Amino acid sequence: MTFFSGRRLFLGSLALLCAGSLAAAPARAAQNTHQFIESFGKQLVAIVNSPVPLSEKKEKVLPLIQKNVDIDAIGRYCLGRYWKTATPQQQKEYLGLFNQILVSAITDKLGDYRGVSFTIGAITKSGDDDSVEATLLRPQQPPASMQWIVSSASGTDKVVDVIGEGASLRLTQRQDYSAYIARNGGNVDALIKALKHQIEHHSASAQ
Amino acid sequence: MNSGRNGTRLRPCGQAHTAQAQEAPSASRRFAKRHAVFALSLLTLAGCSSIKAPVPTDPDALEDYKQANDPYEPLNRKIYGVMMKADKWALRPVAKAYVWAVPHPVRNAFGNMILTMNEPSAFFNDVGAGKPRRAGDAFVRWCINMSVGVGGLIDVAKMAGYPHQDNDAGLTLANWGIPSGPYLFLPMGPSSIRDGIGYGIDQGLSPWNYVPRGYGLVSFNWAYNMLGVVHGRSEHLDELDALQRDALDPYATIRSAYQQQRKAHAEAIKNDHRATVPLWYHVKNRQQG
Repeated sequence: MTFFSGRRLFLGSLALLCAGSLAAAPARAAQNTHQFIESFGKQLVAIVNSPVPLSEKKEKVLPLIQKNVDIDAIGRYCLGRYWKTATPQQQKEYLGLFNQILVSAITDKLGDYRGVSFTIGAITKSGDDDSVEATLLRPQQPPASMQWIVSSASGTDKVVDVIGEGASLRLTQRQDYSAYIARNGGNVDALIKALKHQIEHHSASAQ
Repeated sequence: MNSGRNGTRLRPCGQAHTAQAQEAPSASRRFAKRHAVFALSLLTLAGCSSIKAPVPTDPDALEDYKQANDPYEPLNRKIYGVMMKADKWALRPVAKAYVWAVPHPVRNAFGNMILTMNEPSAFFNDVGAGKPRRAGDAFVRWCINMSVGVGGLIDVAKMAGYPHQDNDAGLTLANWGIPSGPYLFLPMGPSSIRDGIGYGIDQGLSPWNYVPRGYGLVSFNWAYNMLGVVHGRSEHLDELDALQRDALDPYATIRSAYQQQRKAHAEAIKNDHRATVPLWYHVKNRQQG
């Protein structure tokens, strides 16, 4: 009897242990994602709110973005089906230009905000990635809720998409690029030319 | 343009059709003529080139084609081009002038009024979608804002914890499981077969289209609708400027954003399972029981 009860106890605790570790695995992943977004968000907000000139903010934010956002993965996604047909040279050139455009799109926004804060909500699975609910609070403006899609495919947690008002930034960008290439005879060079033109235009208007 | 639906949805041409048709034969003729001209111009446009885009044979291209859900792209792009010209030369300058001339608090009050006056339509759609909590909120918003909020100019209901929740017949149909159908770019903005039909239903659901003649109500209705269009546009000046500047193919970007946002919006309404009675009611009942 004692043997049975002992074995039962043993099996029961083993089952509990397994169940516990099974349940803990996704919880731990979610915990990591939460920590990642919290630390990235805090650093970002600290730079945005700091009383330094805009140029200094841009300098500070650059390494932060490069470390925490998987720009190359987003770039590959945005080129869609044309990634496969592009030559290695085109791919390299495109990624370089995409990098510049994405970074300047983020740094352009830095001057618009002051006194912002954010809260992190629920974390859910979105395919292989984690989706983190976050709400951006700006003074005298309605709170903006968004979802950050975090992927660990590259080995470390990195942001691969932001969804605002139901629209995924990378998907919208991909359909923009795809439509442009398709209307220019399926030629990736047309896109590269347009992106170069965009960067020139941007740097001219910034001066 | 995507989320400017609030304003653009309340365009004058649809409402004039119902309100004035029976009582003013001359007016109805005028509108019939205008509609005929509109239909004719659409047909001419359609005649210029094929309406439907050819279905691609390449599997990857076919995948993109299916995802865009836009078989009438050639026609849509034509309408888009015409509307963007009209926007550039007419609506956008008017909206900019409106922002320049009217102080922010006044514009805010107009925005509140437009939202409140759209609540009956939102209410009927909430009922249609089987969402009692949302319907109740829309009803309460209407009652509070039309009385205490001075005809909707002050959003008192929002301060009392009843913020506006948008709904329209296109979303209600989506909640009934009706697919969106192909994408359409209509004169009032991005849409789809389903949302276009929804737009027509919404015109029927808005009590403002049934105002009697006299007492200046029809003039008020016209002014209100035109204000709705200009105000709706004025709220998206910077966004649309940025989109026109940054997108390589603004038409495709608007299409993508619109389709994603409509899908997410319909999903959000579907997943809104909040209780109809307030929390304190449950607490009180539990204490008594």
